[in-house]
Amino acid sequence: MLRRLAAISLGIVLLFAAPRVETARRPRYGGVLRVEIEAAVSSLEPTRGVKDLEVSGAKRQFDALIYDRRNTDGTFSSVAGSGLFQIAEWEPGKHATLTANENAPGGRPFVDSIQIQMGRAARDMLLDLELGKTDLAEIPVEQARRAVDRGVRVSVSQPDELLALVFPAGRAGTEDARMREALAAAIDRASIVNFILQKNGEAAGGLLPQWSSGTAFLFSTAADAVRAKELWTQMPKSAKLVLGYDLGDPLEQSVAERIVVNAREAGIPVMAQAISGAGATAMAASGDIDARLMRLRMPSPVPRVALMNFLAALSPVTKIDASPLPDPASPQDIYDRERAIVSSYCVAPLVWLPQVYGLSARVRNWIAPGPGETWPLADVWLDGPAEAASEKEKR
Amino acid sequence: MTFRSKLFWVFTLALLLSVGLIAAGVMVVTQRAFEDLNQQHSDALVAQFQREFERRGQDIVHRVQGIADAEPTVRMAIDLSRPKSDVSIYVNDARGVSHAHQLDILDFAANDGSIISSAEWPARFGYKLSWVTQQEDWAARGSFLTKVETPEGPTLALMSVATVRVGDNNLYVAGGQRLGKEFLASLVLPTGMRALLYLNLDRAYQPANLLDSNGPANDAERFAPILEKEQQQPGQQTAKINWTSDPASAEIFHALPLLGRQKELLGVLLVGNSQREIAIVENRIIWLALAVVGIGLLIGLLLSWWGAARVTRPVRNLAEGAREVAAGNWNAHVDVRGGGEIGQLGRAFNQMTQQMSEQRERLVQSERVAAWREVARRLAHELKNPLFPLQTTVENLQRAKEQRPEQFEEVFRESTGILLSEIENLKTITDRFSDFSKMPQPELAAVNMNEVVRSAVKLFEAQFGAVGRPPITPELHLQEDLPAIQADSALLHRALENLILNAMDAMPAGGVLMLRTTNNNGKVHLEISDTGTGLTPEECDRLFTPYYTTKQHGTGLGLAIVQSVVSDHGGRISVESETGVGTSFHIELPSQPARRAQTIPSIFEKEKGKEG
Repeated sequence: MLRRLAAISLGIVLLFAAPRVETARRPRYGGVLRVEIEAAVSSLEPTRGVKDLEVSGAKRQFDALIYDRRNTDGTFSSVAGSGLFQIAEWEPGKHATLTANENAPGGRPFVDSIQIQMGRAARDMLLDLELGKTDLAEIPVEQARRAVDRGVRVSVSQPDELLALVFPAGRAGTEDARMREALAAAIDRASIVNFILQKNGEAAGGLLPQWSSGTAFLFSTAADAVRAKELWTQMPKSAKLVLGYDLGDPLEQSVAERIVVNAREAGIPVMAQAISGAGATAMAASGDIDARLMRLRMPSPVPRVALMNFLAALSPVTKIDASPLPDPASPQDIYDRERAIVSSYCVAPLVWLPQVYGLSARVRNWIAPGPGETWPLADVWLDGPAEAASEKEKR
Repeated sequence: MTFRSKLFWVFTLALLLSVGLIAAGVMVVTQRAFEDLNQQHSDALVAQFQREFERRGQDIVHRVQGIADAEPTVRMAIDLSRPKSDVSIYVNDARGVSHAHQLDILDFAANDGSIISSAEWPARFGYKLSWVTQQEDWAARGSFLTKVETPEGPTLALMSVATVRVGDNNLYVAGGQRLGKEFLASLVLPTGMRALLYLNLDRAYQPANLLDSNGPANDAERFAPILEKEQQQPGQQTAKINWTSDPASAEIFHALPLLGRQKELLGVLLVGNSQREIAIVENRIIWLALAVVGIGLLIGLLLSWWGAARVTRPVRNLAEGAREVAAGNWNAHVDVRGGGEIGQLGRAFNQMTQQMSEQRERLVQSERVAAWREVARRLAHELKNPLFPLQTTVENLQRAKEQRPEQFEEVFRESTGILLSEIENLKTITDRFSDFSKMPQPELAAVNMNEVVRSAVKLFEAQFGAVGRPPITPELHLQEDLPAIQADSALLHRALENLILNAMDAMPAGGVLMLRTTNNNGKVHLEISDTGTGLTPEECDRLFTPYYTTKQHGTGLGLAIVQSVVSDHGGRISVESETGVGTSFHIELPSQPARRAQTIPSIFEKEKGKEG
């Protein structure tokens, strides 16, 4: 009932990439929602004893759909099928079919079932969206604009993922803070946003986005090649710096290559090198990397929580101060900590990335989830064939 | 070395020289032919490369022009000509377009040269491609070689630039293909040839920039000399690289400079031509030549041997005949067949020996007659002296018997005394002749010639200064370290006595008798000189003829005996004389007499033989 009320109240949904006003429609029950995701989930067992924030994104989505009750620390505690959907078919890592739980707390989901295809490549998902073979799929942020140009409905979240340049501690090439500063100053963040991200995202100067902390504007994002060159000339001649990026992440590769170009223009020799895996573990394993790109997803819109989470992720690699902030922390406390970290140049924030979703014409009531939120698939309903065709014609 | 051997070696050397010259000539001609072939191959490959270069250049021009003419590009140009146009939407376009048109390099650049999209280096958007704005007419320029920046570093590319003009703005489309191992792999090369490409991206020679169709070339350091030379002075050059000590491993490389728009050296194409096939063929030719030479030599040696034997047989016969003649067989006859100079020579030889034999016969006859006459004259002369008193004495006896019988007894006693005396003279004469005919064989022993000389001179010392006779002064010049010789000292003493007697007879008015001994290379040389009346040349010629004498009472046997002694010792005797000045006899005796010298049998021995 609550969901129905909510659906009625949100009859008009503003979709980020389709700046049109949705006409009010009555929610419709039924239909099969076809979803494609890039990740491959191999098990649906509840991740007990592990905090929700630390569970991988896709698994967390599944957990949110099939489990109901949570413990006080946020972990799921109930059995499968107690949530919004029940598992009808399950092929680990490939395919899952979830059917609506008629007895779900808060009411039955609108769609009858959800068919989830896992392990799909971004290109294939985009193609399926164009061809109408799927209703909901993830789209890489750098391809959002192209997807729109190709007639795909996209939904873009607030920028909640930080792409940063992280300097591991103890590397001779970047031991001197001036070296790190030189490289950070050489990077043209605006170009990364405008060209690589196709204007989907924001240049990042601090560790929290403007919409979250309200102080991001205090951090400079402008490139300063002259300063970078000046700093670099003060350094003793060294071998090429090695910039690592995730082998399977085209966006990181593009950004890394752009950083190489920016650095080269500033006279800093940098070489991009793909490394397998992402995150702190991969970085720790890559002993010969002087700097690497890391994606840090905000687990919560709360600045203190997000910042502490970032610091916890970065501290093992960069040895930055990860001591807890006061709770509650004042904006000044948060800003001071951010400033201290940014000024150490152990981490150079680059850009804030939003999450982009592609939607078919019949999908209704989709709201891009914010930090820490799961996909609101139970709130989505699907147009009937006639409405969908009409909608498609309109588009 | 015999004439036959010489002829054989001459034939052999001539054959060797001929075969060697032919083999060398064949080698040189073959080598030149291969070099020409190599050059043709290399020229063909270079021409092929240039054609391929031009063809690809034209292909690239067409492709780039096709991209520039395509609707999306024109739309891009129109979009860019608008104020505040958003170029970011085109940032990834170059990659797709370059793949579609099979270009390695593709850049879209705005009117100011800033890169809108780059296929080879997508991250380079926004930076300036300044050189595209410098050329005034890209359409006329066609394709060109240039250095292109890529994420992996600079590389060479065959490029073309097309412009899309909208209003006052140009959109530059710069596209091309890398010049690298793929390009080399696409060249169709004959067997044994390969192509390498040096990317002249640095001032100094960098071995890593030398590519073959598989990537970086092996042993690239070995190319440093030719490429450094090319860097200093671009131009077509040739160099040979011996990879190992085996000549078959060598390769000849032709360097072709690849120049850029400003005629700067951007690359060097090296066309390598393996010498393996040539070396194999050369080896085959060498072995074939060696086999031919070997067989030819063998046949030539046999032919030379046979030919030399055939040619020299008459000569050898002639030589044998000459040796026989030299040995005294003047009846020697050579078997000469056929015509030619050798045949003529053989016939002339036979004719000569025949004539010599006849002349000798005649000479012997005449000498024999002359000798007998001389003997008769000498005998008559010798015998006449005692016979005349004998006759007179007998006549006195007869006369005394008839006319004065009373005195006959006295006359008889006187006459018988005279008769006995003259008969004794006759006996002496016959003994001397008998002695000469019975000259003994020398009994050899170590003899010091100086001692013999001193002994002989001492014998005559009394006579040199005899009263009533003009004095003769002996002068001895004897070399002290004279080697001992194997000789019969008695015979030598006798010969020396005869010579001293002759000298004394030649100096009736006195004079100087000089005796000199010297060591002449192991031989003993004895000179006996007088300051007497001397001899005429005619006398000198007949001096050693038995029974020839210039003296009133000589037997003519003294010098004949001397010659006989010297000859029996294997020596030589000669005489020099000048009328009114004196005469010198020169005797040369070896340290060891050789086998007994063969002399022409004396006329007496011959006569004996005839009688026997």
